[in-house]
Amino acid sequence: MAPKVDFTKCDGCKAQDEPLCEQVCPGNLMTLGENSKAYCRETSDCWDCMSCTKVCPVGAIETRMPYQLGYHGAKLIPLMGTNTITWTCIDINGNVERFRFKTRID
Amino acid sequence: MISMEKIAPKIGLYIYDPAETIAGSIDLQAVLEKCAKIRQVEICETVSEPASETFLDSVKDAVTSAQIDRVIWAGRFTSHQRKLLESSLTEAGLNQYLCEWCDLELQGIGKSSGSAKEQQNKAMTLIKMAVARVKLLMPLTPQEIPSSDTAVVVGGGISGLHAAASLLERGKEVHLVERQSGVGGKVALLSRFYPLQCDPHCGLEYVLKTLRKSDRLTVHALSRPLAVEGTAGNFSVTVLSQPRYVDAERCNGCGHCTEVCPVDQPVILDAVQDEKPFRQTNGIGVMIKETRKAVHQAIPYAFPETYVVDRHACPPDCRKCEKACPTQAIDLDQQPVEKAITAGAVVAATGWDPYPLSKLSDYLGYGNIAYVIGNLEMEQLLRRITRGVTDLTTPPVNSLNNVGFVQCAGSRNTQHLSYCSSVCCSATLKQIQQLKSLRLEAKCVVFYQDIRCNGFEEDLYRQVKELDGVLFVRGFPKVKTSEAENCVSVIAEDTFSGRKVEIDLDLLVLAGGMQPSEAGSEFADVTGLPLNPHGFFTGHYQCYPEESQRTGIFTGGCARGPMNVSQSIESASRGAIKALDFLEGSITIKPTFPVVDKTKCDECKRCVEECPYACYYFDAKGFPEPDLTKCRQCGNCMGVCPVGAISINHLTVKQLAAQIEMLETSFLDEDSPIVLAFLCENDAYIAATSAIDSGLNFPINVIYLQVPCAGAVNNAMVADALSLGVDGVFIGGCQDGQCHYIKGNVQVRKRSGDLRDKLTSMMIEPERVRSESIEIQDTERLVQVLNEYINDLKELGPNPFKI
Repeated sequence: MAPKVDFTKCDGCKAQDEPLCEQVCPGNLMTLGENSKAYCRETSDCWDCMSCTKVCPVGAIETRMPYQLGYHGAKLIPLMGTNTITWTCIDINGNVERFRFKTRID
Repeated sequence: MISMEKIAPKIGLYIYDPAETIAGSIDLQAVLEKCAKIRQVEICETVSEPASETFLDSVKDAVTSAQIDRVIWAGRFTSHQRKLLESSLTEAGLNQYLCEWCDLELQGIGKSSGSAKEQQNKAMTLIKMAVARVKLLMPLTPQEIPSSDTAVVVGGGISGLHAAASLLERGKEVHLVERQSGVGGKVALLSRFYPLQCDPHCGLEYVLKTLRKSDRLTVHALSRPLAVEGTAGNFSVTVLSQPRYVDAERCNGCGHCTEVCPVDQPVILDAVQDEKPFRQTNGIGVMIKETRKAVHQAIPYAFPETYVVDRHACPPDCRKCEKACPTQAIDLDQQPVEKAITAGAVVAATGWDPYPLSKLSDYLGYGNIAYVIGNLEMEQLLRRITRGVTDLTTPPVNSLNNVGFVQCAGSRNTQHLSYCSSVCCSATLKQIQQLKSLRLEAKCVVFYQDIRCNGFEEDLYRQVKELDGVLFVRGFPKVKTSEAENCVSVIAEDTFSGRKVEIDLDLLVLAGGMQPSEAGSEFADVTGLPLNPHGFFTGHYQCYPEESQRTGIFTGGCARGPMNVSQSIESASRGAIKALDFLEGSITIKPTFPVVDKTKCDECKRCVEECPYACYYFDAKGFPEPDLTKCRQCGNCMGVCPVGAISINHLTVKQLAAQIEMLETSFLDEDSPIVLAFLCENDAYIAATSAIDSGLNFPINVIYLQVPCAGAVNNAMVADALSLGVDGVFIGGCQDGQCHYIKGNVQVRKRSGDLRDKLTSMMIEPERVRSESIEIQDTERLVQVLNEYINDLKELGPNPFKI
């Protein structure tokens, strides 16, 4: 369902040539628009991998729940710790589930 | 040295509780027993006398026999004991960065309310956190970076001269860069200093004595800095010098060249407080008209002693001076020279410019009426009168019967300079004193808004008030456009009596203000230094006023704001003293600098953007790398890095994360929330420690960590704490505008805001993250804020992540 960028928050990674979401997107779909805000240029190609959502330093990107996992209105939100991700999954009925994973062993 | 990472660390844990504060509220024995069972804690004991020989020897033995290689000092040690313990451990071969000081009392053990069990649990949590941290500590050594011992002083006014003299006296090499052909700046134009009424040229000669006898000074006159590249310790300053046309080594100052020079160029007086050139159309008036030969002594003050040729004034093909010079010192074909100077530090004393009084011509007639002059012009006038100059252009002193002074001419007015120029009141009073000493009968009228004579200058005000024939009128005057001969008519309303004052004056002196100098803004362009809204250089006013945002560049004197002569000298000398740190041949960098983990960094450049001191550059592979000589070790880069790839040594992301992970989230009763606080060590941390020391009811729910700046707190650490079940995360930073690192508190507030939005979307109450401005004195407020916060958290209920 493709990432949605909150333009009020996105700072285009301070208008660097490549914002973090662009660097991290495996399909090379994210890019900076003329307003120096990131957007997904081909929404139908997005795999919903959520890499951009996780990496966004200002929390401006929301990936809408893919239809395989929930209907419109369901949300999946990552919270990045130093070496953990905590996922919050909210389905269309408002039921909340949370998962915590270690991400890096170093 | 053995690599610390490979071998499991062995920890010595020493608990010191001389006043039995801890033992009085918890079962210390039980804590000791538990601690002894923690893995890798090899020694666990209480200390009764940490300063005693026997104890020190036993610790040293434990270190030398490799029984332990890390130490946790739990309890309250005095700073004397700390130093003693640190030095004995260093003697025994343990790096001082392998020690952890864990003051249980300062976290509220034995000092805040809470049951013995709760206190005991908290103490255990704190010790476990310390153990987690100490395991990850690394031995660190300061870095030495070679540096130049040369300083560049920009500006040869009184500030620059004193800065140069301070540095020369300490054996440093100094390059003095001055725009004009001679030094002295504005002070050379003054008639008297206040309050001593001494001659400024005497003051200049005094400081020049040091400069004259030094062989380490190079003066670059007629010069300006074009570029300041590099970093503290190793700047490369490019200086462009216009030709002087006289060889300094040959010129003996005999003055034969002036005798043959055919030019008598009218001088635009250096003191004219006008944008446009001297108003020659205005007849003689009282204005000073001076002529000068094309070849002349250095101005404004004849140092360096070498003469200078003003080539623009020379008639074509005239080379009379060249021929007349007995030492062949004159070379009229000299070209501008660009030089690069390697310097450890730069002191900018770029001074001030007079506010153009022509902007006040509408109602004060400056520039239109010859009898209206500025205060710098008045200084020149007084100087000439004292020197006994009697020419057509200098009015004889006995013609000065009625002299008016207008204060705040251009200052404290949002249309002009919104600030107070701070010296003009005293300067006017000084001028009145001098005028009265030359001509007792002269009557003086001062039109003022408020007389601002700070400190001892009040004496000056009192002395002048007591003089006969000095009238103070509180009101802003207007010059009447009358054609009256030889005088200027002024009308004002005395706002005290409400009466209209109308007076004819022989001379009206406008106390014009000080504006930032052109040289200053040029220097700001060259160095990229920010200016304050008024256009002056800015620093942290209290803690390091002379330091600029670029490490190694210092500002002093009126470049920083309106100051009188003595304040400028103090400021510039302080700047010079601060600069000494970078002129010692090598710079010692504390090892607590940031390190970028290049395996994690993905080159987003956010650290480059947000470092308050712009100290990041890109290495050969495009990774950001901090320039350690610029870095102030505030940790804002660590806080801002989206992937947590930057850590400052001795307070790494890993160390903090390990501590947070050990934070037991159920050390209190079920309904008591746990708060993790990150406190800025400059303000909030000190407020917290003094709150505990002064016996305020510091909530037991709070465990705090000390950070160099609130801006060093990374959202990932906050997320860590929340996802581990901590009920609230509190970030205590400075008040706006007070941050030691410019804007760390603002940056962290922005990031916490982003995080709060994310929490909202996660159906977690955003109030769980709170950032607050805490001043150092806010002890009671901090406790109150924390208690309110805890009450709020109680109402929210436990963190949904708490399992």
